[in-house]
Amino acid sequence: MTYHPEKLVIEEEVAGSPLVRSILAGLPGIPVQWVDRLGEERKSETGNALEIVKFKGRFVKACPGTRFYNCCGYQILNFGNQCSLGCSYCILQAYFSNPNLRLFANIDEMMQELREHLRNSPRAVHRIGTGEFTDSLLLDHLTRLSELLVPFFAKQPNAVLELKTKTAQVDLLEKLDHGGRTIVAWSLNPPEVIDREETTASSLKERLEAARRCQGWGYRLAFHFDPLLAYPKWKEGYGEVVDRLFSAVDPDGIVWISLGTLRFMPSLKVTIRHRHPLSIILDEEFVPGLDGKLRYFRDLRVEMYSHLKELLLSVHKDLCLYLCMESNDVWREALGFTPADRGGLSAMLDRQALF
Amino acid sequence: MVETEPCSIQLNKIDWNDTSCLITYGPLPPKLLLSIQTVGLIEPPLVQGKKNGLFRIVCGGRRLAACKKIGLDSLTCRVLPSSLEHQKCLRLSIYDNVAHRTLNPIEKSLVLAKMLDYLEKPQLIDEFMPLLDLEPSITLFNRYLGLHDLEEVMLDSLAAGRLNERIAFALATQKQGDRLAYLRLFEELPFSVSVQEELVETVEDIARKENLTGEQILSSKELRALRQASKRPARQRAQEIRKHLQARRNPRLTARKERFAREARDLGLPSGVRLVPPPYFEGPKWILECTFERAEELASRLRHMAQLADQPELQGMMESKSDISSREVGN
Repeated sequence: MTYHPEKLVIEEEVAGSPLVRSILAGLPGIPVQWVDRLGEERKSETGNALEIVKFKGRFVKACPGTRFYNCCGYQILNFGNQCSLGCSYCILQAYFSNPNLRLFANIDEMMQELREHLRNSPRAVHRIGTGEFTDSLLLDHLTRLSELLVPFFAKQPNAVLELKTKTAQVDLLEKLDHGGRTIVAWSLNPPEVIDREETTASSLKERLEAARRCQGWGYRLAFHFDPLLAYPKWKEGYGEVVDRLFSAVDPDGIVWISLGTLRFMPSLKVTIRHRHPLSIILDEEFVPGLDGKLRYFRDLRVEMYSHLKELLLSVHKDLCLYLCMESNDVWREALGFTPADRGGLSAMLDRQALF
Repeated sequence: MVETEPCSIQLNKIDWNDTSCLITYGPLPPKLLLSIQTVGLIEPPLVQGKKNGLFRIVCGGRRLAACKKIGLDSLTCRVLPSSLEHQKCLRLSIYDNVAHRTLNPIEKSLVLAKMLDYLEKPQLIDEFMPLLDLEPSITLFNRYLGLHDLEEVMLDSLAAGRLNERIAFALATQKQGDRLAYLRLFEELPFSVSVQEELVETVEDIARKENLTGEQILSSKELRALRQASKRPARQRAQEIRKHLQARRNPRLTARKERFAREARDLGLPSGVRLVPPPYFEGPKWILECTFERAEELASRLRHMAQLADQPELQGMMESKSDISSREVGN
């Protein structure tokens, strides 16, 4: 379902920006409210407005990981926040009290910060994604940011861009010169989970068809089984996803696949119950993790990861699989090694990034 | 300052059904009766004349009720002009009460509910919530308002302090049958407030997963047996009920704990040595606790543990297993 806001709320300072012009061109006739300044946290009853502001924070930052579990060293390029897909488990429900999508119009400052970061950072390899605080491609038909970012990263010798999405909005990617430096990634779940818990996201069929198209244009792909959800018949459900995945795409073109079971701050539980009364994701048993988030009981997590590993590696034994936010003992039991055995998780993924 | 006239009023002229200005809730304090009987009524109640010739109680409802109970026919009251607007009378009642005592949660709820007829929510929240020692927030406002519709048995328990308002807020969102089932349990057995909260959440989770009501879960055969085991102390019965519900909500964790206990026993740890898994078996760090009185004891225990450390049984104890099948948990 293509995102279409009911109105725009735009700070006057960014009225003439290319982003605003692009969005207005893509939404002719949409009501616009011009404002002086939108606060950092502006509550809205409906969440149907698209806000466009001048961003005063840092555009490039490290992914908010935790010291208790292995982190992959991903970096975020923050062009906006919130998401309208309304997945029941989404942590953005707790992260942002403003339900409206918000875009940052000072793209020139974003690109300047990105250039300086890549030039000055001591890191050997940068894996940068735009899909942490929003969906990377949900608004691409309006923002056309891929037309800026994909060619930019094509010229970077030591950086890759990951566009992570639950949509099939890939049309603009077709004609872009990506240079092998953009990885298009999809979160995947079984159809029955998508129908119940990701109600306005693209279907599995649509996501895989979009992946197939992107692979046909030469893009490298990634897939995130995150969150992995335990429900009756989860084994059969994820088995179907893996079958359909490898029917749609060539595994040789997959850079990495991440596995991460459902985890969330305890405060999100009330929100999920209130906003998604038909969701069954809270039926499984949860325990507090080392980072305070509620997670499935460890033995179940190991069982799920082991099962997915078997399904995936039986198709292509050299797939790069990694666990998101897990401790070494779970890595060892589920995948048979720990990140330290391969130089650390960041190093593992850096090698994959630049092949 | 409102002018009043002292007047002797017949108690049968008091409109006991008009509670529009009353915000007190709870039984008559026994010491109030004793005080009036001993030294008489010191502070006259405040009433307002009505068109039908009766008098509306504004302040001192308990004093009037106490006088009626001890058999007085009349007493001196201060009478407000009948032209005084109702909102002002209500404010008099509220401010008179908060000036000399702390209101119970039901009374706070009554204040907010009654003033809502006259003020917009934001103004009501700003003026009255701090007056009631409440954080001015719309969420808390709605919670207190929700208490207003609870059953009398719940209100009595809350007013008497037997039910904590945090629990009342949680129960206010439940169906009546469930709510009363929790109340019976919490009045019967000693659970701390935080354990009560935990039990409400646990039972709700079980109810959703198993498509039952809270009432059905709380009146199950197993729970009834635990509650009625009168030979066991109440505290022990409460702990067993909590454990039973936790096990039902978390079968995997429960099975894992049972396996750990069994395997630790079978491992043959030396006396004075205890293996402690990580909380919820989450994370890689296990703890070995060793108590000793002499160096030789320590040496002996550590030698024994060194042998055990090489045994595959110890490694197995630390590893995951499917302690219960997916079918058993409905997967």
